[in-house]
Amino acid sequence: MFKKPTLTTTLIVIVGFLTLCPVIMLLLGSFSADFVSFGQFTTIKYVEAYTDPDFAAILWNTVLFTGGSALVATLLALFLAYVNTRTDLPFKFIFKVIAIVPMMIPHILFSVSWVLLLNPSNGTLNRLLMDLFGLKEALFDIYTLPGMILVEGLLDLPIAYLIIAPAMSAFDVSLEESSKVCGASNLRTLMKVTLPVLRPAILASAILVIVRSLASFAVPSVIGMPGRIYVLSTHIYRNIATGFAADFGKAAAIGMSALAASITLIYVYRYLTSESGKFVTISSRGFKPTMIKLKKGKYPLFIVVGFLSFILILLPVMVLFYTSMLPYSMVPSAKAFAMMSWDNWTEVLSDPISLLSLKNSLFLGVVGATIGTTLSIFVSYVIVKVRSTASGILESLSFLSFSFPGIVIGVGFMWFFVRTPIYGTITALLIGYIATYLPYGIRPISSAFVQIHSHLEESSRVCGATPFYTMRRIVIPLLIPGIVSGWILMASMFLRELTLSVVLSRPGTEVLAVQILNFAEDGLWGPLSALGIIMIFISSILVIIAAVLGKKLSKMEVMN
Amino acid sequence: MEIRIKDLTRTYYSEGKQIKALDHVDLTIPANKIFTLLGPSGCGKTTLLRCIVGLETPDDGDIYIGDDLVFSKDKGLFIPPENRGLGMVFQTYAIWPHMNVFDNVAYPLQTNRTPKDKIRQQVVKALKFVQLDGFENRPATKLSGGQQQRVALARALVAEPKVILFDEPLSNLDAKLREETRKELRSFLTELKITAIYVTHDRIEALALSDLIAVMRAGKIIEIGDPKKIYFNSDDKFVADFIGRANLIKGKIEKQEGEHAIIASEIGSILALNSQGISVGQSAMLCVRPEFIRLAPEQGKQGQNIFSGQMESLIFIGEAYEGEIRIGDTLLTTTIEPTANIVEGDKISISFDPDHCFLLSA
Repeated sequence: MFKKPTLTTTLIVIVGFLTLCPVIMLLLGSFSADFVSFGQFTTIKYVEAYTDPDFAAILWNTVLFTGGSALVATLLALFLAYVNTRTDLPFKFIFKVIAIVPMMIPHILFSVSWVLLLNPSNGTLNRLLMDLFGLKEALFDIYTLPGMILVEGLLDLPIAYLIIAPAMSAFDVSLEESSKVCGASNLRTLMKVTLPVLRPAILASAILVIVRSLASFAVPSVIGMPGRIYVLSTHIYRNIATGFAADFGKAAAIGMSALAASITLIYVYRYLTSESGKFVTISSRGFKPTMIKLKKGKYPLFIVVGFLSFILILLPVMVLFYTSMLPYSMVPSAKAFAMMSWDNWTEVLSDPISLLSLKNSLFLGVVGATIGTTLSIFVSYVIVKVRSTASGILESLSFLSFSFPGIVIGVGFMWFFVRTPIYGTITALLIGYIATYLPYGIRPISSAFVQIHSHLEESSRVCGATPFYTMRRIVIPLLIPGIVSGWILMASMFLRELTLSVVLSRPGTEVLAVQILNFAEDGLWGPLSALGIIMIFISSILVIIAAVLGKKLSKMEVMN
Repeated sequence: MEIRIKDLTRTYYSEGKQIKALDHVDLTIPANKIFTLLGPSGCGKTTLLRCIVGLETPDDGDIYIGDDLVFSKDKGLFIPPENRGLGMVFQTYAIWPHMNVFDNVAYPLQTNRTPKDKIRQQVVKALKFVQLDGFENRPATKLSGGQQQRVALARALVAEPKVILFDEPLSNLDAKLREETRKELRSFLTELKITAIYVTHDRIEALALSDLIAVMRAGKIIEIGDPKKIYFNSDDKFVADFIGRANLIKGKIEKQEGEHAIIASEIGSILALNSQGISVGQSAMLCVRPEFIRLAPEQGKQGQNIFSGQMESLIFIGEAYEGEIRIGDTLLTTTIEPTANIVEGDKISISFDPDHCFLLSA
């Protein structure tokens, strides 16, 4: 099909550049005073960064924020997974919705919607409660660490659920039954058998949420910064985005510790997930786990689950849409509804920067996903079909960027791009996006390649088909669902990209998420909401198509 | 069509070690016979099949299919698989999941631009032959294992090749279905008058299906013969042991009596077939299969091939007893009819039929 050794080498060079260049530049940059004196070794930036009196507090905030989010997300996921797999709760389709739908709502918009609801001065929910109970002060303040933890925990709930739910449904019920036969109560069985057996999945989910919240920028910037609560990602951002004194050396020095923490955690995660194979809990006997009859508890529990899915999915969209129709924030009332208009929408759609950001994001989504998918096809081919030492190297290289926090990679790329003519161009964003999100393309496409057993190609040859005819009739048709879902996944990630963009975006290369962040910093909630609804609309369509195609693909995988 | 293989060699390198998958194989596969390559995993049988079909390139040797040379190291000739005109059924069936049954079966005809109405006619005929008529529009993903196997067979037959190859086609089926499919395959192939090359590691499959069996080990063909010859009177110890359960008893040839010879062994003198003509005075190995160890009618009587021993263990398995008989230090495995009136520990006498135990060179 290709000249294999040269193809593998070329891909290692390209992917190696994309993943390692920002890391190496970050490392070199952290030992340089500024862009001009790049390469002149100095440790001054490390001294500045780590002797900063605020640093200990920032680190402590980061620990509380990531740990708290992991706790919230994992506990909620455990609860939902248990209720779904082990009880006779009605309307179970709702769990599928909880697991997939929040991915359609970009994190920055989810954070904004909570600010709109619970900010202390004019949060809709706060005002509603004040009116209702005649309070003088707002009941909730979202601009706090618990506020950040709640929102980040909810955002990471789908990821935690997707790890814990399969482990829970694969659980061999006879382990529990034998505990009960031995005389243990339901509660004791849960504590002594069920949870310990699920421990690897629980830990894996907690660690993955920590990694994601460490890299998270939407919540810390929209909710944390107005309340002056800084974590590592916003601390890095503060050093490069505040006015005239951008300090990329210090940002790199801080970024090194975020990067180190993230890589360590991913290593632990890998270890845990490979370890979990030892806890073989899957029974092939096809027994359905005994369903716990909820009886009277059925409907109260359903209300809890229904409420969770409401605040995860419907509430953010409703709040944004409501805000987009109003001139300023107000409690829902007859007066508010009377004042509704499309003014914010027309304002946004005639604002040159918003339009530019829409255009840029669409360009990055379409062109970036196309280039990224093309690269992913070649990389997946080598990973799945060539199988040599070199292809093993390529595989680890291409999944490395999973563990890199976006903003840190942005700082690393910045050190590289300022030395090239593409600094400040849309190409810089394009390269950064593809480097960071390459695994999102490789995963679906390589699983499509795995599906093509070599016998499928060989039998075509024996049937009299030339290699080219085999390619056209067998290989390409079988790959297409994977390619399409890879493309859509990448496009929807690019359309909403925030963390990398806040570093690399310059005047003229604004993108949607950065424009929304700017609106948030200026308190322009109306236009923000209008732009946000447009963004959700585009990315929802993409995610729905991806889900449908993914389902088709997985059906075909059952065959082989 | 006859297939001739000359001095075929194929070597792999895996983790620094050299593995000879095919070690100077010479073989002639006669036309219109069902020819089985039998051997343990890793013996090179699949490699040999893949070399014939053209999915693998040998390091050395020649392959002729009929009168056509399809591979020759010396002449630098390699005909790609699509130009060899063979049919093949893969272990995984390799049914293309994105096509329906019709397109799967029609594929070999589509590649050589057969006219459409002719394709339809041929496909219908092939599907009828494998008893899948009416399945044309079924998506390939909606077939059971047995049905996929038949689609694979129909696809291999549709272009009416002169040779069809099978790579362990029954190993993915469950036990009961495997037995039924084996019978069907046998009747399909006998009806067709086609050269069939069949690779398996399952001795029962090999015995039940084949006209000729070639037993392979470590890249070499050890013995070729019809099923009865291989089972009753193999020339090789490994083959005798591999093709069925066997009691092997060591000894020395004492005397030749026509086709038979007397061998002195640790349980006494035994009269056995000596078709290899091992000469008097040589060491040899006696092979007797469990089902040919008979309980002697009268206890204690001495005579030709009658020995007394003790029932060491006896397990009832439904259709028979599986027993172990101790004679001195020798333990012999045997099958005894299920109605026999014996218990563990009984003293018994047994006899070997001289025509059903045979001598192998040790």
